[in-house]
Amino acid sequence: MQDSTIENKDSVKTDVIDEAVERGLERLTPERIAGVINQVLAKETGARFKTYIDTCMRCGLCADACSFFLSNDRDPKFSPAAKVKQTLTEMLEKRGNVSKDFLKNMVRIAHTECNVCKRCSMYCPFGIDIAYMMLTVRRICHKLEITPLYIQDTVNSHSATMNQMWVKEDEWIDTLQWQEEDAREEFEDLRIPLDKDGADIMYSVIAPEPKFQAGLIYQTAVIMHAAGVNWTMPSNPGWDNSNMAMFTGDFEISGRLAKAHYEAAADLHVNRIVMGECGHAFRSVYDVGNRWAGWRMPPIELVHAIDFFHELLTTGRIKVKEKYKKSVTLHDPCNVSRGRGLHDKAREVVNLLCDNFIEMTPNKEHNFCCGAGGGVINCGPPYKTTRMINNRVKKEQLEQTGAEVLIAPCHNCHSGLEDITHHYGVDMEIKFFGDIIYEVMEKTIYQGGV
Amino acid sequence: MNDKNANGRNAWDWQTEKKQIPVKEWESQFNWVEEPHVSPDGEQVASIVNSDEAEFSICVNGDVWEDTFEKAWSLKFSPDGRLAVLAANDEEWTVCIDGTEWESRFDYIWGMTFSSDGSYLGAAIQQDGEYGVVVNDEPWESLYENMNHFTLSEQGGSAAVVQVSSMSQGDIDGFAGGLFSLAVNGEPMPQTFMNIWDPAFDSQGKHLAFTIRKNRSDYSIFQVDTAWDQTFQSAWKPAFIENDTSLVAPVRTGGKWYLYKNARPFWSNVYEQLWQIAVHQEKKSIAAIVSDSYGKWTVSQDDRPWTNHADQMITDLSFSEQGDTLCALFKTNGAWTVVANDKPWDLGADKLWKPAMDATGEIVAARFEKQGRYHLAVNGRVAPGDYDMLFDPEISPDGTKILIKSITGGIYSRQVLSVDGLI
Amino acid sequence: MNAFIDFITGPMVWISFLIFFAGVFIRVFRLAQEANSKEKFMFSYFSWKYSLRSIFAWLVPFLPASTRQSPVFWGISYLFHLLLFMVPIFLLSHIVLLEESLGWSWISLNDSIADVLTVLVILALVFFAVRRLNVPEVKFLTRSSDYLFILIVALPFLTGFLAYHQFFFYRTMVIIHILTGELMLILIPFTRFFHMFLAPISRAYTGSEFGNVRQARDW
Repeated sequence: MQDSTIENKDSVKTDVIDEAVERGLERLTPERIAGVINQVLAKETGARFKTYIDTCMRCGLCADACSFFLSNDRDPKFSPAAKVKQTLTEMLEKRGNVSKDFLKNMVRIAHTECNVCKRCSMYCPFGIDIAYMMLTVRRICHKLEITPLYIQDTVNSHSATMNQMWVKEDEWIDTLQWQEEDAREEFEDLRIPLDKDGADIMYSVIAPEPKFQAGLIYQTAVIMHAAGVNWTMPSNPGWDNSNMAMFTGDFEISGRLAKAHYEAAADLHVNRIVMGECGHAFRSVYDVGNRWAGWRMPPIELVHAIDFFHELLTTGRIKVKEKYKKSVTLHDPCNVSRGRGLHDKAREVVNLLCDNFIEMTPNKEHNFCCGAGGGVINCGPPYKTTRMINNRVKKEQLEQTGAEVLIAPCHNCHSGLEDITHHYGVDMEIKFFGDIIYEVMEKTIYQGGV
Repeated sequence: MNDKNANGRNAWDWQTEKKQIPVKEWESQFNWVEEPHVSPDGEQVASIVNSDEAEFSICVNGDVWEDTFEKAWSLKFSPDGRLAVLAANDEEWTVCIDGTEWESRFDYIWGMTFSSDGSYLGAAIQQDGEYGVVVNDEPWESLYENMNHFTLSEQGGSAAVVQVSSMSQGDIDGFAGGLFSLAVNGEPMPQTFMNIWDPAFDSQGKHLAFTIRKNRSDYSIFQVDTAWDQTFQSAWKPAFIENDTSLVAPVRTGGKWYLYKNARPFWSNVYEQLWQIAVHQEKKSIAAIVSDSYGKWTVSQDDRPWTNHADQMITDLSFSEQGDTLCALFKTNGAWTVVANDKPWDLGADKLWKPAMDATGEIVAARFEKQGRYHLAVNGRVAPGDYDMLFDPEISPDGTKILIKSITGGIYSRQVLSVDGLI
Repeated sequence: MNAFIDFITGPMVWISFLIFFAGVFIRVFRLAQEANSKEKFMFSYFSWKYSLRSIFAWLVPFLPASTRQSPVFWGISYLFHLLLFMVPIFLLSHIVLLEESLGWSWISLNDSIADVLTVLVILALVFFAVRRLNVPEVKFLTRSSDYLFILIVALPFLTGFLAYHQFFFYRTMVIIHILTGELMLILIPFTRFFHMFLAPISRAYTGSEFGNVRQARDW
């Protein structure tokens, strides 16, 4: 019985056709395959990789950490160590002489069956970083040019425009000016100050905000204005903090993006960068792209929206008129909880804003990924059905809370959770912290002295 | 800085000790007054002001331009003291300089840039969904599907990375085939590449060099009319040297950074990072911001790293006019300071701007902010007094005086102080 | 025969320890060397505080969530690793041998307790083998060498147990006991047994990254 369900799911998964992968595979020769694999494994990895490969005792404890494993009825192929076995171990043993079928599976596993969420590092007794291992596999896919289509197109956009959605330079500025104008309905002198040299804060977002969700910029502008913050946004590229290149193993583009972001902030001479509610973008500028560029830690203080809202609420810069009434639960985004320990502050923010908070379990550092993270959702529609199957565990978690509203302070999580609630018919409204703050805040301007 | 500018500076008022303009008063006349901008000579202070819904104008020294605009942004003084703003009426954008509008109109305009003597003003434009550049009211004849990395030469030449072929959504093979070229004064080069970044003009504005990506993994440098024969893992903006006859560029190979000259290794040291090259052609000196061990930054001048390091960031590397002083901004432990010829100042600044230097490089003056107050530092000494706001200091051509432009208590002040009193 | 026994209880012990220590030293040295040449950045994130925090957290039974999720495996595993070192080190007959040759001695386990503990070690190894055969996610990862490792660890304990009770072939058992004990020591630096040294290192690095950079716990 169990076997047959696994088989059905397998057929759904192997049926996925990704043009970029197919065409990429066609172009490959055995020499090129072995050459690239051996170059990456021999030259680009080192003591860390070797230690992880040599230390794993194949105890299988990482399995229970993985939402893919749990969502697929404990199918052993989905345990984190099994993903290493099916990809890296075989490439090492065959010295890179692997077949195209093998590569096709490898792309699927590394790109769509791992959220690089690092939860398994907390369940492995040795702390083996399997996310790093899967990113190394993706690096090989990148160099073999068999990266899935949608995410590759996103990386192309990053490289050409320095933002992830082909937003043209004028569209960006125009959107900000349009949001500014709209928001003047609420505060007649409200501004989204562009290129304000010497402001305290540069606010940065991901490209989907100007492209599809400009209302979020509006909300932020209202919050910033009411809080009396001396802030600015750059009109030139560098405004986008997102980074899909770090998830395809295109580290060179990833580093280039982080450089553009921090240079935009340095040019404006700001003290801090505050970024919108996005997790992967935080990871990209806090922990990944900066390293490639040579910045050990962010060269300019980087504050995630959760942290910033916490500051505005606890210092009285934003006052709550009336707390939010509906019952809410909180999804901890991996990249700001496991990635930055902001889960406790997130809870404080929820409690400052809402009357009725229901915890989701497991939570905080032990949260399950939304299933969209790590560039998985960015592999696009071909993989959507499998993505839903692969994160049933999140749906179960959501249902158990019984909350009316789900707060997800991350764009990726938002989209991933929207998909899950639709797919499984979970009746839950998904919101950002910004949505709730905008709804419950007093729309008066902070005068200081509090 | 060229002669025209130096002459301009000679003509500035270096005698009057103090001039004041009460800018706070403007607030009562308008709905709101945006952040002030000050002319290089300090004689004018200006802001975008709003007087009604969708009614903007520019207030200069208390006088308001006759024209009003539905929208206005990007107010800037040119190096020669003209005041320019990007402004729109009836959804048509143009540049307005000292109250006079350009004839050309566009669907959108941004990225306003000046040549360093101020005689050329360029900007990026969009018209009917196509992109290009306008310089001194003359737009490019050909426009393109998309455009990035607009740059302006000292001689008024313009260049930008343009998309010369269309790409249907998600066409990654088309993208890999090379959709981008570099257009110079509107004309695209025949070569196309997967990516082009960071075009750099030579000092005569005749030739360009830039960074290219040939395929997903191979980067190189394009020099004048051909690409270097080598490829690299990455590369940053190149710079012309030796009277524009040679080119240097930071390139990455084997995970480390090197400085190459004309496609061959040049500096012998290997760096964790190397970017933002500063060149002094007469002195034949080349400097760059480098990281010589992971997480540690310094300046390397002619391949000799300084002894002082920053653990966070270095910016604004520049030579004084005669090339005797090399200066950069260092950030360590959250605080900025100036380091000049490897000698660090003690500023502990929260915000710090690129210093002004006299021609000899003997006088270096920088403005900075610390705990919300602005200060001036000259040759490492913090001048007495603080300000609500301080603008870029200017040094007189003879190097004896400093022009300080500041706002405190809602009053703008233009002050001329003797350098001797400050150092 | 006596000469052979003298050899394996004399020089061979020294040789085994020599290979063990030299092997460990060379591997750790090479690892550090490679990290230094290719991934030097790792040292800049390393923190003693967070390394030790992580290692200690994982030494406390049932503190990490992972250990609470699989309490049976973890209970057995904690005990097994403890006994794996404790039994041979505090075994009276080992201490007697050591005292005879080097004059060193320390407190010893009561023989009947040691006997029970030895059985526990063997049972734990049986449990590991059975688990490898029956738990799908473990079975999927298991290779034949994993059973060989279990056997190599089991042999010295099993033969020691049999020799102590002198059930049969006492002499042969003692010889196999000594040889397999030495074999295990020699193999540690060159096989997956090396996790004995690598595990704290990888835990320390993960602990440093989590604590120092990401400001989160890793257990």
